Amino acid sequence: MKLVPIPNYNEYRLNLMFDAYKWDPQFLDNNTIAKYALVISKEEDEELKELTERLDKETRKSEEIINNNLNLAKMLKLPGKIKQEIKLMKNYNPDTHIRLMRYDFHPTCEQKWTVSEVNSDVPGGFAEASIMPQIAIDTLKENKYYYKNFGEILTRAIAKKVPAKGRIMLVHCTSYSDDRQVMQFLGDKLETLGLGVIYGAADHLIFNNNEAISILDGNEGKVDGIFRFTPLEWLIEIKPKHWQGYFNTITPSCNHPIAIFAQTKRFPLIWDALEKQGVDLGTWRKLLPETIEVKEVKGREEYIYKPACGRVGEKISIKEACSENEYEEIIKDVRRHPKRYIAQRKFSSKPVISENGEEFHVCIGSYSVEGMHAGYYARISKLPRIDSNAADIPVLIERS
Amino acid sequence: MTGKDIYKIWAPTDAKWVDWVRPVPFIDINEKLELYEVSNFEIPNINYIHKLIPNTAIIIDIPGSESIKEGLAVAKLGYRPIPIYNGTTETKNARATVNNHLVTMGLIQGAFELKKIEISDKAMPAFLLDSNRMNRYKIDISVFDNSWDIYAQDIPSAEYFLKNNINQIIVRGDKIQKDLRKILYKFQEKGIKILFTNGYEEPKLVKIERILEKDK
Repeated sequence: MKLVPIPNYNEYRLNLMFDAYKWDPQFLDNNTIAKYALVISKEEDEELKELTERLDKETRKSEEIINNNLNLAKMLKLPGKIKQEIKLMKNYNPDTHIRLMRYDFHPTCEQKWTVSEVNSDVPGGFAEASIMPQIAIDTLKENKYYYKNFGEILTRAIAKKVPAKGRIMLVHCTSYSDDRQVMQFLGDKLETLGLGVIYGAADHLIFNNNEAISILDGNEGKVDGIFRFTPLEWLIEIKPKHWQGYFNTITPSCNHPIAIFAQTKRFPLIWDALEKQGVDLGTWRKLLPETIEVKEVKGREEYIYKPACGRVGEKISIKEACSENEYEEIIKDVRRHPKRYIAQRKFSSKPVISENGEEFHVCIGSYSVEGMHAGYYARISKLPRIDSNAADIPVLIERS
Repeated sequence: MTGKDIYKIWAPTDAKWVDWVRPVPFIDINEKLELYEVSNFEIPNINYIHKLIPNTAIIIDIPGSESIKEGLAVAKLGYRPIPIYNGTTETKNARATVNNHLVTMGLIQGAFELKKIEISDKAMPAFLLDSNRMNRYKIDISVFDNSWDIYAQDIPSAEYFLKNNINQIIVRGDKIQKDLRKILYKFQEKGIKILFTNGYEEPKLVKIERILEKDK
């Protein structure tokens, strides 16, 4: 794995904004577009592909088992409103829906790869995993690199399950341009496949006989597919409550709320029980650092805390990566709400060093779509915690 | 001109503060865009400041294209206008809570005026906001909500302002809106003075009160 500097960086950055849906190039004082491309070898790609597909198989099997035995879900301590609705998911049929996940891999000092989490519910980074690498290749003017086009793989999978010329609603928080940039990329791609696209909010869908109906002004009527980018834990806060239909809809969905079982960081806490049910979790066991209840830490310093429903690295207690007061605030919150967190053995991220000696920590998000590997979304940071301050970097594979 | 060309006028390479110019309102500018002029696009005379004030940034938070026009007025005094509009367009055929197209049109027309103004690469910033952004009223649930808030991550940090010798910020608007108050309260805590003007009076020092959890 190596960092290759991007020439004509200013032009590259501008091209990403206008041609690659990168509408958030700045976060506070940080530029969110890396000045490098991340190049992995063909062997590394093969290895990540294999690990991703194995993790995905284990995750989807776990979902099936939990859904058939909701007693197992008790230890997940899901939010009360979700707990009530997961009973509706009995009719879940994986063949109807599209399953998309992203596993976050980190190169570490202890072993080659460690996985910090799976983004099981609403992974993002679509254009960064689809157009950004092409623009990087065009800028580098090298033919020794190639990439996996995530957008092509995802949209083809959606088109397989949504009827031809059907309408799909891209459900997101319409007030957030950061959400819209992801949806706009997807919508533009889906339109090229002949699908109709509606940009809407979660409450623009109602459900009749388990089928999704759009009530969005000027776009009313049955929809043939749902792509949800509103996280489940936000969805359930929407009033008035007419979101239960998402849980038992027969309209093809990506992702169906079945995703919540692996989305919670408490998922590893039921692995023992899942293994007793015959689920093989060998790859997860090998790659995810030991995860325990907060109360079991008992002052040991080799553990960090993560919120069970956390996203984009928020509220993770990596001391050296926390801003002023942040660490103390997280610890205070962990003490107040221990069930809302898990403790995970800290791993030592192994930085990648650029030609001019700059060190960056790397997180390679590896997608799976319908069980198959589907490309990469990577971020780099000078700090070992990859969060909103990190920079997006295209992943290129070097031909051998 | 393309959206990229218009953007480059507002965010010239290597000028200070331009990394914060949000690309969102520029994205839809292309040959298919139905152009309609913002009526009376004239740069106004402003009376609340008469010259560049040292160590001072400005936030202009007034409706749509008016903020762009006033941004150009302070550009003539030596400030760098930094558009930080972040509202998206509604889905086709739907009614929306905010007309974000007006900002796009204003930025296109404003770009032609901005090109005529010479601004130092080191000029201090005047951030431009649309005060209509928080129009959340929906006549019914079917309306597309494209209202938006400004967040701390959308502008430089207090530390960055201070490091760049900016220790006071003038807010020009009808009032200091809730989203901005949340950000400026923290700036105030870190030693940045906040001044307010309604556009008619001289900017006056104000104290931003902490926003209580129930009012968030």
